[in-house]
This record gives sequence, structure tokens and C-alpha cells, in this order.
Amino acid sequence: MKTENDSAVSVEHLTVSYGPVPALLDISFSVEPGQLVGIIGPNGSGKSTLIKAVLGFVKADFGNVKLFGKSAEHAKGAVAYVPQRGAVDWDFPVTVRDVALMGRFSKTPWWRDLSHEDHRLADEALDMVRMTEFADRQIGQLSGGQQQRVFMARAIAQDSELLLLDEPFAGVDAATERAILDVLRKTREAGKTTLVVHHDLATAAEYFDKLVLLKQRLFGYGPPENILQPELLSEVYEGTLRVFANLSPKKDSIASAARHRESHTGISDQSKSSEASK
Amino acid sequence: MNHADLIEWHVNNAGMIKALIAGSLISVACGVIGCFIILRRMSFLADAVAHSMLAGVVGSYLILRAVFGFQANSIIILIGALFAGLLTVVLIGIVTKVSRVKEDAAIGIMYTGIFALGGFFASIKAFSKYIDVDLVGFIAGSVVATTIGDLWMLAIVCCIVFGAVILFYRQLLLTCFDPVMAASIGVPVLAIDYLLTACTSLVVVCGVNIVGVILVVALLITPAATAYLLFDRLNRMLIASAFFGLLGFWSGYFVSMWTGNAPGPSVVVMSTFIFLLTLACAPKYGMIADWLRKRNQVPQELVEDIMAFILKNGGEASPQRIIDSVSLANYSTKQALSRLEKTDEIESENEFIRLTKQGRRTARKLQRAHRLWETYLESTGMSPDQVHAAAHVLEHVNDEEAVDYLDHKLGHPLTDPHGAEIPEDFVHIEAGGLIRLSLLREGDSAVVEDAGPASETLGIENGAKIQIGPRDSDNKWTAVNSVTGEELSIDHDAADHIWVIKK
Repeated sequence: MKTENDSAVSVEHLTVSYGPVPALLDISFSVEPGQLVGIIGPNGSGKSTLIKAVLGFVKADFGNVKLFGKSAEHAKGAVAYVPQRGAVDWDFPVTVRDVALMGRFSKTPWWRDLSHEDHRLADEALDMVRMTEFADRQIGQLSGGQQQRVFMARAIAQDSELLLLDEPFAGVDAATERAILDVLRKTREAGKTTLVVHHDLATAAEYFDKLVLLKQRLFGYGPPENILQPELLSEVYEGTLRVFANLSPKKDSIASAARHRESHTGISDQSKSSEASK
Repeated sequence: MNHADLIEWHVNNAGMIKALIAGSLISVACGVIGCFIILRRMSFLADAVAHSMLAGVVGSYLILRAVFGFQANSIIILIGALFAGLLTVVLIGIVTKVSRVKEDAAIGIMYTGIFALGGFFASIKAFSKYIDVDLVGFIAGSVVATTIGDLWMLAIVCCIVFGAVILFYRQLLLTCFDPVMAASIGVPVLAIDYLLTACTSLVVVCGVNIVGVILVVALLITPAATAYLLFDRLNRMLIASAFFGLLGFWSGYFVSMWTGNAPGPSVVVMSTFIFLLTLACAPKYGMIADWLRKRNQVPQELVEDIMAFILKNGGEASPQRIIDSVSLANYSTKQALSRLEKTDEIESENEFIRLTKQGRRTARKLQRAHRLWETYLESTGMSPDQVHAAAHVLEHVNDEEAVDYLDHKLGHPLTDPHGAEIPEDFVHIEAGGLIRLSLLREGDSAVVEDAGPASETLGIENGAKIQIGPRDSDNKWTAVNSVTGEELSIDHDAADHIWVIKK
């Protein structure tokens, strides 16, 4: 029988507000260990707030978040966090290696220096995201994708059971996207749980085991094919959503051809209608 | 100098030695804390704390003299000033939290208010007999009047500040850099914040002694900002900042001895001078380095103009002709040519510069963009003699998708307003994958992979081989079915929905 203690993340009736309008209202779901879960929803739907609540950085008005059976406040260090690119001061005087080493801070008591082992693990993490050659660069002197990978390395070095990523795929190049997916695959193989705030519905089905559809309230939680339903999405996105076609990946040639079409020219609404007429 | 002389010199200059020790201690402490202040963008807050201390100084004098009846000493004044400083920080926090007033405004309100409160009590006649606060010293600094008591106080403050920074270095670093992660791994972010504020208040109170309340912020910010321009790691920045603090103080102090005025202003003038010098000369973030970098940069615009010129000139041209014909203000065409050669876009042979295969492709892409822009501009009603100049600017807006959009919107035109042929969409065609039939031109043959709605309206079947003919008078596509021999007339919309592979 499954109990609450078996889940990696369990959110119960979570309500968070910054004023009269709640950022999150009555959110309940639980994530089993080892799953890769995407959090989707329109802008301002509370995705980042949910991440911050899981991190214990914002206080819940009601309800609670439990990580591996413990409340979020008591599970400090169990969560590794990759911030949104915009939330980082890229002029800060730290190098790539410094940031990776931050991942080891949680495992080091305040009176002790970082050990050789910590340095080794940080270097290993940099190696995993192929950033070793940039280790001594200041973080502002990297491309957007490289910056994202540095923070991935920090999360890897932290070696936590739970990984939270806030929009890791926003504005990154193809190499970084592959590097991130690679890391996500490896962490899943290692039995770790990952929550990812994601904005691109077209790839959501491909990347994640389960999806959380959010807009203040929980509109759906489950496997991608259950969540990526046009009726459900149009309710949440209120007509701001344009491309519906090809939400779930198909392996046949038609699907790849269709994807080729979408990437071709700025007339995607037409290719959509041709898709619908088939 | 014999032994007796040395002793005499020391006795005569005891004041100066004390001043130098005091100044060195405080500039190092300010330099270290200043780094965190500028990284947290708390400069204005530090200024506020400095000013509000007047209220603390006056308040502690008044309470001790009027209520307890004894003279305040420097430790009591320090505590009073510290209290006032922290009170200001807390009040600013409250105002920001409970109202829509933003932090900078809240700081402006609270520190002037508390500063004025101190000034108000200090200037009331009935109280002024209790107060012998040296207001001039408070405002302009009085390092030359340093006492042994002051030195002890400074030593203690330095121990506290350095101890805090060394012990909690990682926590301070993480809280400044990424407070969300700091909180998530259990760093007490709020406590670290207060620790930083307390350290700031401590060094500011001491700094007021040296340069006075108006200039104390300079002691905190200027050396730290100087170090920030030079170093990319926090630990190095901290050490450099302490060094620049010392340098500013010592040079300023000796300048003031030479000119015979108060040390405060000259210390700040020297610090500012060091900062400006660094700003000009810093190897990475300095203005000269920046200027050099910009000078060595070759703008994309110039590169593209050169390639377009060579293509128009028939694929090759002499370097002199290129230099004579293509120019962009402030940039060297020669430099652009050597850049192009390095990136394998051009090659030179027998005094001639020729486009490589890759360069030719890039140039054709540009030509396509230019001619599509010309066609577009004409379609907006611009007169034909103006379109070339405008398109010359707009051709640098040649993002793949933008150009494809123009091509589609204009109905895939074949020629530009001057009658020159617009290069076909070779990027998509050469890829060899599925393309829209609308990209094809006269003479092309293709296999239909997905006829879409046209299978019903035009009777084209998947797998059909077709041969494209010329556009008709309505700019419709014409084609011949190679198997059945049937002639087809396909409009733009239908052509967009027929997916083919070019043979």
C-alpha cells in the first residue's frame, strides 16, 4: 500500500498568496521517487511559486509540502535548485568552478573548509555538463546555454534526491538542450526525482513522465497524454495557445515531416489547419 | 638617526601614528565590508545608516548626561550610533513591507528623518549645554584626534568584522549570490542579512571618525568598486578592496599633510582618483580595453556588404576595388577582409579576392534578403529610386524566418523591382527534405509526398511526379503531371499545402 511517506514530493492543499489573489490555491499532488515531472502553465500561473514553496523559500498560507515524508522546512539540503537565468546576477565575481563548488556547501558544516573530495565532485559535475574547459571563467563571460549548464553542474554536485529546475530550456542552444536532457536522464536512472518548470508544450510530452498543469489551481496531474488535451489546455491558456498540432511525438515519417513543416516559414497556422483537415 | 632621536620623533608624532593606525584599520574593514555592500546593491542603505548615526550619537549623550549625569565615552557613543543605525534599517524594512513605497524611497524618508531628529535635539538650547558633540568632526571627520580608546574600539570592530567574514564566508557568498538556494540548503538568510547590516553599521560608525558622515560611504564603496573592476573572484576582490582602501587612505593622508588641510576630503579624493584610473586602465572591464575591443571588432554589416559586393561583381574582385567601393564609418574594410579570410568566406588568388563555396552561399542569402526587401518595400508604395537604399539597410535583417515570411507574403516573387532575379530559397531546397511546392520554379521537377487538400481539389495524388512550368499571368504556379500529362494550375494557398521532394 502506498503511503504519503513513499512519495518524494507530496503537496497537500497548498495555498500561497502575495495579497488578496492567491498565487496558488488548494494544490494537491504527489510525486513518486524517480519520476521526471514537468510543471506547465501560462505566465503568472504560479509555477515559480510552487518551486519556491517546495524549496521552503515562500511560506504557505495553508497546506503543506512534504519531501520524503518530512516537511519542507526540515528537509533542507535535500533539494538541489537550478534558478531561472534571469534570476542570477551574471556580473557577480564568481567563476564557473566557484558556482559548482556551491553545490557542496550544503554538505559542509560552517566551521569546516571544503575538502579535496568536494573539489573532485564539483569538477566531476562540470565534466558531466562539458564545462571543464571554462572552469576558470567568470560566469558572465559565457553564452546563455553555458550559463545554464553551470547551474546544472551545481545541482549535480549537490547530489540531492530531488532536483528542481526553473525553465532550464528557455532560450538555450541545441547543445545545451541535449546536455540538460542527458543529465535529466542520468538523474532518473540514479533513481532521483526531478521537477522542471517548462514553457514549451510541444516538447513536454517527449521530456516528462508526468505533467502538472497549473494556473493558480491544479488543472491536471498525470501522464502527458492525459494532460495535453486540447479542451483542457484551451481552458487554461484561454486562447493564447496557438500551436496544438503534434503535441505528442510520433515516430513515423509523417510526424517528422510535419515537424519539418512547423519549423519551416512563419505560416504555422496554415500547417495547423492542414493538420486538422487530415 | 640615533636612539634618542627616534624616541623624540615618536613622542612628537604620536598623534600621527595613532591616526595612521586608526585610518589603516578602518579602511581595511570598510574595504572588506564594502564588497558585500556593492554586490548586494546596498550602497544607499549604507549611506542612510551613516547619517542616522547622528541621532544615535546625540541621543546617547543626552540620555547619559541628562538622565544618569555622566559624560559619554566612545564605547557608549558607538553603541548609541549602532542602535540608531540598526533602527533605521528595521524602520526601512517595515515601511517597505507594509506600504507600496519602494525601498529607495523608504530609505530616503527614514534616514533624513532620523538624521534631522538628531540635529533637532542637538540644536535645542536647553540641551546643547549637555552636548559637546563635535559636529564639525562628525561631518568632516577627525582622524587626527584619534585617542587610544578609539584605537581599542577599532581593533575590536576589525576583529568582529574579519572574524564574521572569515567564518561565514561561504554563507555570505551564497546569500549574496543566490538567496533562494542559500535558503534551500538551510543557510539562515535573514540572520546573515542582519550580520551584514550589523557589520556595516560598525564600520560606518568608525569610518565617520576618519572622513565624516558625508564621505564615509566613499570609504566603503570606492575601494570595493575599484576591486570589482579588476577581479572575477570574490576572495581576490576582498583582498584587493582592502588594499585599495589602504592605498587611498595613506595617499590621501600624506596629501593632506602636505597641503595642510583636513585628511577626510583628500582621502576620498585620492580613492576616487584611484577608481577613475582603474576604470580607464583595467585590463578587462576598463574603458581603454573596451575601446580597443570595439575597435578590433568587425561589424556584421560591413562583412555582409563586402560579400554582397563581391557577388555582384561576378564572384571576384581586387582588394583595392573592394576597399574603394565598400566602407563603413569608423571601421576598416581591410580588417574586415582579413576576418572574412580567417572564417573561410573568401580566398585570395593572384591579387584577386574570390568567394569560397561557403562565402558564395552566404552572399546569395544576402542577395535574396536584399531583393526580397526591395520587392517588399515597393509593395508598400515606396518609390523605386528609394527602395535600393532602404533595402541596403534592411538586408542586414536577414534572419531565416523573417526572410521566409517576406517571401511567402509577397507570393514567392521571381524578380525584384529592378528586374533582377531573386535567388530561390536554396537553404530549404538544398536540404533535400520535404518542401512546399510554392518554393519551386520553372524547370524544377519533384515528387509529391503529401498533396493535402489538393488531392481532392486538383486531383494530385501522393507519389505523383510533376514538372514545374512558368508562372502564369496571375502569378499562379503551373505544372505538368509527368505520368498522366495533365496540366495543372495551382494557386498560392494550394501550392503552400502540397509537400514535395525536389528531384
